[in-house]
Amino acid sequence: MKKRQRAGFCFILPWLIGLIVFTAIPMLAAAYISLTDWDIVGNAKFVGLDNFIYVFRSEDFIKSLWVTVRYAVLAVPLIIATSLTMAVMVSKNYKGMRIFRVIYYMPAIVSGVAVAIVFKWILDPSYGLINGVLAFFHIKGPDWLYDPNWVLPSYLIMAIWGAGGSLLTYLAALKDIPQDLYDAAMIDGANTWKKVKYITIPLMTPIIFYNLVLGIIAAFRKFTDAYVLGGAGKEGNFYMVYLYEEAFSHYRMGYATALAWILFAIILLLTIIVNWTKKYWVYSE
Amino acid sequence: MKKSKKLGKRMGRSRMIALYVVLTLGSVMMLLPFIWMVSTSFKVENDIFSIPINWIPRKITFDNYIKALKVVPIAKNMLNTVIIAVPKILGEVFVSALVAFGFARFEFKGRNLLFMILLATMMLPYEVTMIPTFMIWSHLGLSDSYVPLVLPAFCGSASFIFFMRMYFETIPKDYEEAAWLDGAKNLKVFYMIFIPMAKPALVTISLWSFMGTWNDLLGQLIYIDSQEKYTVQLALASFSSMTGETLWGPLMAASCMALIPIIALLLYAQKYFMEGIKLGGIKG
Amino acid sequence: MKRSIILCILLLIVLGMFNGCSKKTNSKDKNTFTFATWAAGTELEEFQAVIDKVNEEAAGEFKINVLSIPSDYYVKISTKIAAKNSPDFFWLTQELISKYAKMGALADITEQFKQSDSLTPDMYYEGVLASAEYNGSYWGLPWIANPIIVYYNKTMFDALGVECPSATDDWTWEEFIDICRQISGREYRGNTVYGTIIDGWPNIETFIWAGGGDIIAKDGESIILASEEAKKGMSYLQTIIEEGLSPRYAEVASLGDNNVWFEKQRVAMFFGGVQDNFETKVDKMDESVKFEIGYAPMPVCDDGSPWSFDWTASTVMAKSLEGNDLAYKALEAVTKAFFEWKIVPPVKGSLNNVLEINPKKEAAMETIAYIMDYARSANYVPEWSDINDKLWYNLYVSLLNDASFDYRSQMDEIQAYSHDLISKRKSK
Repeated sequence: MKKRQRAGFCFILPWLIGLIVFTAIPMLAAAYISLTDWDIVGNAKFVGLDNFIYVFRSEDFIKSLWVTVRYAVLAVPLIIATSLTMAVMVSKNYKGMRIFRVIYYMPAIVSGVAVAIVFKWILDPSYGLINGVLAFFHIKGPDWLYDPNWVLPSYLIMAIWGAGGSLLTYLAALKDIPQDLYDAAMIDGANTWKKVKYITIPLMTPIIFYNLVLGIIAAFRKFTDAYVLGGAGKEGNFYMVYLYEEAFSHYRMGYATALAWILFAIILLLTIIVNWTKKYWVYSE
Repeated sequence: MKKSKKLGKRMGRSRMIALYVVLTLGSVMMLLPFIWMVSTSFKVENDIFSIPINWIPRKITFDNYIKALKVVPIAKNMLNTVIIAVPKILGEVFVSALVAFGFARFEFKGRNLLFMILLATMMLPYEVTMIPTFMIWSHLGLSDSYVPLVLPAFCGSASFIFFMRMYFETIPKDYEEAAWLDGAKNLKVFYMIFIPMAKPALVTISLWSFMGTWNDLLGQLIYIDSQEKYTVQLALASFSSMTGETLWGPLMAASCMALIPIIALLLYAQKYFMEGIKLGGIKG
Repeated sequence: MKRSIILCILLLIVLGMFNGCSKKTNSKDKNTFTFATWAAGTELEEFQAVIDKVNEEAAGEFKINVLSIPSDYYVKISTKIAAKNSPDFFWLTQELISKYAKMGALADITEQFKQSDSLTPDMYYEGVLASAEYNGSYWGLPWIANPIIVYYNKTMFDALGVECPSATDDWTWEEFIDICRQISGREYRGNTVYGTIIDGWPNIETFIWAGGGDIIAKDGESIILASEEAKKGMSYLQTIIEEGLSPRYAEVASLGDNNVWFEKQRVAMFFGGVQDNFETKVDKMDESVKFEIGYAPMPVCDDGSPWSFDWTASTVMAKSLEGNDLAYKALEAVTKAFFEWKIVPPVKGSLNNVLEINPKKEAAMETIAYIMDYARSANYVPEWSDINDKLWYNLYVSLLNDASFDYRSQMDEIQAYSHDLISKRKSK
């Protein structure tokens, strides 16, 4: 069996090499930087754990963390549910489904900046699309990104719009569910809902797990559109936006790197937890 | 073929109609931003921020496209991006599949720990490792080059490895078991059985890899200096200036042009998602 | 078929790699310099033309290569500096000069500047030169002065029967607000119009200076934000917002950018830089939407003195080139070339260049000539980015959203905060 072990090791070797050469060194550098006061341009001054201590006293840190956590908790389940639903709806090979698949996936192909620009208009309080439609029904729409209470919903709308991003993964998984299972269930008299609940979803759990982990990472690392759009009352000040500004507007790279490591720890913790629950709900052969 | 048609009919007329209606409504929402982009790209400058919003340009003009092409050589930029993307896809897709195979089917010491490390590499924001990484490449004389953008691809990509591993784990062991019994070598099993079965997944990550390159602004910004080497995203960035105004019309025109290759690719890759139907199953 | 596709791909890769690899031929040729700029698109074409001319005139003595950074300018600049790969020359806006100088990224050009035969400190307008000074030394050569003036829609003024300000008026802020009151809320060409538009632009200095106050004192060290003069100035902003003389903050983006409001004749007066190209835009408009542009200087300070905020930027030199006379020569040559490209050139006696560069500005010349003697840039400290954050989020935006916001105590708070920041630096 040792032979199999060695074989396995050989297969992952390319990644391992890349890990050491391309990843480990920068990460070690980043670890060191987080212990310094560095303005990028000048020399780094070692300050030990000062950055980390400062973090907990910083109002902006707490605010940005709160904004991000709140978003993640709401957006991740929302995106998964929406994406799954979309996938199930377009999975069958009926006429025209092909076009729907492309349409629902399209939001994911646009770069973050373009999305932000377009949504800036869509969410415009005076003449944007959403408020325009609401006005048609005689409802006065909110100020969206200009109203602190409506910033989070604005970003959630953008999240749902982009939910089709995981469509391909779900479609690929759906295609692999043997038709026989459905047929057998049909014969046993199961209706659509039962089929979805007892066949589709359980067999999709590996892909759902994948999207859950990636979704958590993505939600906590949300940056590009938030950086362009912001939001009233610092409600659009996501963690990564805060980090980026600390690094490149205030030239406090040491502090920003410490922030990065804290984010890293949070995401890692959540992933470990999710991974630990894997055996309870994820199906595998 | 016949079977699915029969089942289709069983879904019921009203059900089908309801499905199509919902999907169409949803599609409209999905497409609206794109429609706005296209519409704006054909609008005269005065028309772009008019009130109330015009969906259909009052006067259709190709000026924005002409201007865009004058400002940036978009075709060349696209070619440059493709030059980066192709080796990157080859590297990332094949190596990721290989590595994923190792994680999925072999139980070696430290496997779970290493996989956790793999996941962990996705969690540290790129912005803080960017400068140390750049410093190394720069020291090697490779700034203003595509090499830093392409070379790491040959060690796989963490999220693709993760995905392929998940995918491989859903493939029933029965298939390989037959092959092992016949004494087949690992590599052969890999590309005779796993690769063909994983076609939809491989197409998916190829598409992602391409999109990643197509849409990567920061990485390309840092490592590319010369204008001849500019990629699509750098070209798009040329339409808004730090101290000047944003040229909305040409920007939308350029953005639309930049979308065409990806949409084309998406349409083309479509058929691979229809092929992935597994043979009835060797349940036994 | 498949094999040839694979061959094609391999060929493409190999070609691409050669294209993509940088041939380090100019491994520090002593007379080739890299110049980084944020110019992109059309501006870059113009920039390249200027540089080409300078290179031609240098006739081999030195050569300048252009490095355009179309996005995230400071990210790339600071990254390159960190990697000891700093561009030899690069553009820096006024707020960052003191910061980069303090971080040790810039060459001190004081000596060479003072001893130059063709471009000396006293040739510059004092207000502009101050922006390139820090800690008693000069760190860059300013290449542009873009003071704020008031553009107004003469056609609208006439139609609404309001008296126009004159080209060199010394009108007060109260008069300015009065004019706004006469215009805001009225109907013109089928739309409600406003006297002016304030949405974060003009910058907060505009209002603080209006009352005769300032944020940072002339000594470049002490904070005087919470003075009565500064607060009086801010009260003008408050009045404008309270009485709805400007569109609501949330409404401004509906037309894209704030200047569009002026172009679409929705606001009567617009605080714009001299460089703004309204004239070109109006020329291209249909006859039915064209209007006549009038010019006036900024309303005067409470104490009657004229002033304007001058936006300026400098070209700086990398630290490694400190003392390098050839580099300085190139820097000087390129700066002088900019005086014939950008308006307004920051050196005295070159107002004619404005007309040569942009003849459409002729009607504005009276105002421009008048204001250049009084325009100045602000005093900046290395801690500016933090102070500015507070000024923006805690003060300006709060007031924009809520006219009843207590800006006075907020100004006290920010003053205390800034004071702490600066003392921390001094105690280090």
